[in-house]
Amino acid sequence: MAFDGKFRRSGSELVKLDCDYLLGLFQKTESVRFEVFTKIWKETKFSEIFHGTLVHENRPFSRLVLRVAYTYFVPPHSFQIRVGGLYLLYCLYFSQRASPPEKIHIALKDWGDVKKFERDAVEAHHYDIVYILRQLMHTKAFYFSAMPMELSFKKYKNHQAPLRCEKFIERASRPQELISIELLDELSNVHSHYDKLKGSVFSESEHSSSSVNLIQKDLVPQLRSTVVDFHTWQQKRSCLKPEDDSCVPVEESGEGTASHEETNKRAQLLASIKTKAYGQATEASKSRRHRQVELELSNSVEAETLNNQARPNFKKRTSLKSRICDSVHISGDIEKATPKTTVIYRLVTVDSEGPGQTEGGNKDVQNSGGDKDTG
Amino acid sequence: MAASRTTMENEDNIPEYEYVDVNTNVFHIGSFQSEWLKRLSPQEWSYQQQDETEFDANFAKDMQINAQTMDALKSVCSYDSLCCHPEEEKPDMETVPEDSILRTLLQRKKRQDYKASLKIHKNRHDLYAEELDRLTVVRKPDTVTDMLPEGEIILTINIYYPAVFDKFNYVRPHMTLLMTGSHTLAELRDAICCVSDLQVCGEFSNTPDVAPDFTSKDLYKSAFFFFEGIFYNDMRFPECQDISMTIIEWAKSHNFPPYSQAGMEDTRFSDLKVKVGFPYLYCHQGDCEHLVIITDVRLTHRDDCLDKKFYPLLIHKHRIATQKCAVCHIFIGRWFTKNDQFAPSDPCLFCEKCFRMLHYDSEGKKLGNFVAYPYVDRGAFN
Ligand SMILES: [Zn+2]
Ligand SMILES: [Zn+2]
Repeated sequence: MAFDGKFRRSGSELVKLDCDYLLGLFQKTESVRFEVFTKIWKETKFSEIFHGTLVHENRPFSRLVLRVAYTYFVPPHSFQIRVGGLYLLYCLYFSQRASPPEKIHIALKDWGDVKKFERDAVEAHHYDIVYILRQLMHTKAFYFSAMPMELSFKKYKNHQAPLRCEKFIERASRPQELISIELLDELSNVHSHYDKLKGSVFSESEHSSSSVNLIQKDLVPQLRSTVVDFHTWQQKRSCLKPEDDSCVPVEESGEGTASHEETNKRAQLLASIKTKAYGQATEASKSRRHRQVELELSNSVEAETLNNQARPNFKKRTSLKSRICDSVHISGDIEKATPKTTVIYRLVTVDSEGPGQTEGGNKDVQNSGGDKDTG
Repeated sequence: MAASRTTMENEDNIPEYEYVDVNTNVFHIGSFQSEWLKRLSPQEWSYQQQDETEFDANFAKDMQINAQTMDALKSVCSYDSLCCHPEEEKPDMETVPEDSILRTLLQRKKRQDYKASLKIHKNRHDLYAEELDRLTVVRKPDTVTDMLPEGEIILTINIYYPAVFDKFNYVRPHMTLLMTGSHTLAELRDAICCVSDLQVCGEFSNTPDVAPDFTSKDLYKSAFFFFEGIFYNDMRFPECQDISMTIIEWAKSHNFPPYSQAGMEDTRFSDLKVKVGFPYLYCHQGDCEHLVIITDVRLTHRDDCLDKKFYPLLIHKHRIATQKCAVCHIFIGRWFTKNDQFAPSDPCLFCEKCFRMLHYDSEGKKLGNFVAYPYVDRGAFN
């Protein structure tokens, strides 16, 4: 990066533009086949990205390229883009000039997502995806690390929020996200409140008269069932049969966007919407940011672990120490880790075999009780 | 201390960003290590690489595919097929391709042309960087006991120049070290080289021969690291004082949150709770303060230097220009004089030879009324 500093765009921005371009072409093919990817890789002569660096730039450049490519491999990108990100990592790793090869930093926080991705690929019989991922593991291409990159408290020039290519983001569940339990709860509250207010204006006998009953009584249940219907439709549509395991699949269309398991998880979420009764008092105000997740999954064990994971890690900064940290800190334009993205993503992948639960499931449940009280 | 550390098992020790791309939240390094080891199979963090045919056999079995499918898969996924050029024409990796559509390459071409127009082939920095890259060669130990254990933690630590330097460089670290989870903070301290440890205090114009025997490091042994509200003091020697006490008491009297103390030599990195990417403090010689940033924490890898003896491993060292003697302009300054009638300036810097030749007669008798202090150049560790 340092060696591109004199010019207008930073090295990582340029690499990102190149990756966006490559993955954009891959996205157009609507395929998740490695064969299709390598065709684009060759056509764009992407391996030339390593050509012409000075000897001492080889390693820093490899590090930069792998760091950028890694971002596509993890959420919130769509399944197909994540596949593209994986292939990109694989191709870059084996084309780089640094020796021994620069490793890919994989963050502990992303490991669960990677394993989930692998399971999805296995279930859908995407052998090439699984093979490429395991081959990278086998050749020890990863550093099992704290974060996907080295951090040195640096504020990068022109550093903005990690700009993501909008069309690469997983979006299949927007209606469900919009019509959340939180929204339904609030809506039914407002609704009943309005109803009561209206009722209080009129006498008992006037209650049957039409002017009081202008509001639609079943608005909330109807909205709910519409979303559920939409989801069922969506699920039916995406339930194309995965290919037979006869051979390495050649061509296919549209399947990469949302995997089976993901849609199933969404179904579980929807089910939790279905079973919830309305008209009862909503929970007392909690921080709005947290509430969506908390309410969506109330009463389920998943909710407890999820809460634990999704709980943003910023404590209220009241202590002097942290205030000093703030003033020492690089001013306000640094983007805080956006809890929103996390929340949406976590919703998509409620998973009964999440990393927190396979081994420490019980512990998590016990802990989260305590967490809730203090939080 | 160990007991108080383990009571924090309630927290998850999975690092998340506190500020995106800047630093993480606080986590316990030892627990972070066990979280990784819990999730991985021993094969995954082992230094041994599985046999290729064994890998293929396992894969085929796992995916329930036959040998024919497996072969097809292997040929599709082979990375030998990735080369963008026909086999006969080997591409020139050294020059930037002319006709590329990649933005990175357009930029690199522009820069290469620009550099060529300057007619500078390689600057000193480039040359030095090459030298460093050679340093990262993998070293395997001769004996098993010197082998870094599999699944051990490796930390990358940046030490910055103290703020007292006039050309204080905030961005470029002075040195970058690799350390393991079982190293103590005292071992980090010993690996940090700072010129203020080498300074010799006092005026020695009458006895220039006895001067450089005692350095500040021998005289003032106290030092501390500060991580997450805890001062880790060096208490290895009887002369060591708890120099953090003044700060702690001052903080207490000013209603700051309470700070605590611990021993540098009793604290291993795997005992620490830290934020990766966050600036912490190393203080020695009373007021020589360095920022310390842990930039990466990860499991060891088979391509790491696996010989314990080489750790703490220096992987980067910033070179700074040395101050040359005012007379010969060749040798590094060793003496710093004031009120010096022989000097072109006041104060003035001399190398050993010029200093002796100008200021003493052939019997070693001092000429004139100057004062002289031993000088240690900050490039002394280059
Ligand atoms: Zn110092
Ligand atoms: Zn000289």
